[in-house]
Amino acid sequence: MSQRSISVVKPGLETTVQELPGRIGFLEQGFPVSGPFDAWSFRQANLLVGNDRDTAALECQFLGPALRFDCDAVVAVTGADMRPMLDGAPVAMWSSHVVRAGQILALGPAYSGARAYVAISGGVDTPVVLGSRAVFHMAGVGGRALVGDQVLPLGAADPVTLEAPGLTIPPALRPNFTTDRRWDIEALAGPNDDWLSPETVEMFFASDWAVQAKSNRTGIRLTGPEFGFAHRAIHKNSDHGQEPSNIIDHGYPLGAVNLAGQTPIILVNDAPSTGGFINPFTVASAAFWKLAQAKPGDILRFRRIDRAEAGRLRAELGRVTSSGVTTVA
Amino acid sequence: MLHDALRFYPGGDRAIEVELGDGMDFTLNFTVHRLVAAVREARIAAIEDLIPELASFQVNYDPDRISYEDLTAEIARIYARIGAGASGSLPSRLITMPVWYSDDQTTACIEDYRKTYPDKRTDPDLVCDLNGFADRGALARVHSGTEYWVAALGFWPGLCSLLPLRPRARIFAPKYNPPRTWTPKGAIGIGGALTCIYPDRTPGGYQLIGRSPAPIYDGAQRLPAFRDSLALFRAGDRVRFRPVTQEECAQIEAEVAAGHYEHDMVEYQVFSVDRYLDWAKGQGGRG
Repeated sequence: MSQRSISVVKPGLETTVQELPGRIGFLEQGFPVSGPFDAWSFRQANLLVGNDRDTAALECQFLGPALRFDCDAVVAVTGADMRPMLDGAPVAMWSSHVVRAGQILALGPAYSGARAYVAISGGVDTPVVLGSRAVFHMAGVGGRALVGDQVLPLGAADPVTLEAPGLTIPPALRPNFTTDRRWDIEALAGPNDDWLSPETVEMFFASDWAVQAKSNRTGIRLTGPEFGFAHRAIHKNSDHGQEPSNIIDHGYPLGAVNLAGQTPIILVNDAPSTGGFINPFTVASAAFWKLAQAKPGDILRFRRIDRAEAGRLRAELGRVTSSGVTTVA
Repeated sequence: MLHDALRFYPGGDRAIEVELGDGMDFTLNFTVHRLVAAVREARIAAIEDLIPELASFQVNYDPDRISYEDLTAEIARIYARIGAGASGSLPSRLITMPVWYSDDQTTACIEDYRKTYPDKRTDPDLVCDLNGFADRGALARVHSGTEYWVAALGFWPGLCSLLPLRPRARIFAPKYNPPRTWTPKGAIGIGGALTCIYPDRTPGGYQLIGRSPAPIYDGAQRLPAFRDSLALFRAGDRVRFRPVTQEECAQIEAEVAAGHYEHDMVEYQVFSVDRYLDWAKGQGGRG
């Protein structure tokens, strides 16, 4: 069988290959987990084209790419509404489409949400680096963002038949992108909430936090009220450092709200693995997808939950991203 | 500096921070690595990643396979079995890194930061003032006059946190506030009581005192030292710094560019923790 591939006509804004579960087992050497920022949309895109839900696919950020298919394939676009066009004709998001060799799939800017996913039957078959195809763009691990004229190899897939019915994700099972630019983000206290004053812990869950433009796959920077600190943050062993938010270098959990001085930064897929600032709160893993879809200027409100509720949210997310959620269009 | 018992702090629904003590010292960090090794050997299937750090470690786990309560109880049991404390011997490579102290690139980086923050004292001079060194030459002599323990890796692929093993070679420096947006690749920095080497051009906050032309990260694995790993260091290695001139630095850079630079790495060494701690005590250190 000849090598299946797609060619990059326009790269879009930092479009990368991502795969689940990401780069596991290398955090102790400083490699972030990476992987798709919005795993909900990512998995549904794969299910639509008949792939295993964790197969390597493209993550498009804010402005999507244009891709020429060098072979027949089934594709699906999910996530942020980037108004995909096939040879200039609009095609539906959240649905599978047959694409013939030579056709061009072009995505535009994100109208709602921030990140879209393009899954292709057979998956993207770039080289596996440290156990994953997921790209950590800033350090070039697993490759970098797409560039013009790049050719991406695809994995093997069943021959495409035009008669095959198109599939779609029922609207009720898709992630719900807010229209008022406000997001409720489920979060847990800890690991370092005891470094903040009790009033500040209350304040955090009761305040609006605006997403800064300086946000990306390493962190979502927030603007909001001032933080006040507990006694232990101010009177501490000098090895911790001078600033109240300094702590002896420690591991950084994915989704942690990291406090550097007075700037909270939510640490996401490509974030540093360790560092010397406190993490008073951590976003529930089932809510990470919302961080991926929040745009600069959007407002986040954090809702305090416990581990049991985080587990229920994970189970719910698991259900809507399992095979069987697709229906015939 | 060790706590009486482990302290567990949940980091969301998939991570736990396990704190063993409060401080940056060899004994505490060594105990962290012993416990992490024992947890690894226990082969708990739900554990996805372990990140040993200075005084703590992070466990990433699959909460649908083990509960927070069961996992923390299991880690506490393992700690009770192996006990606290540092003794024994372990294989420990000794890697010598060439350094051009007060080099051109970190000097330019510091000046670039000072364009925005003109009150920032030049890094090597600030470090000299705070530690009582007469001049930059004295700083280089003390900094290169000790072995360092690779206490942790993190923040960026291959970035290492180094603890000086000679008690009197502890050099203190505050971190940048606000941090730098860029740091030259190979820069040597001091923050708190730690030295780090920047593997690539990254943001950073440590005070810069020099630069090594020998890479510590090689994504393309071109050089022999990176045959088995993209990152040069492993926790438990030891590092020494060897001052080099501008000319030697340039020569090493040329060898790196040509792809035949060989790192100065002694593979066969064993590090005796007991003998080290006895020696450090004699040196007036807290170990």
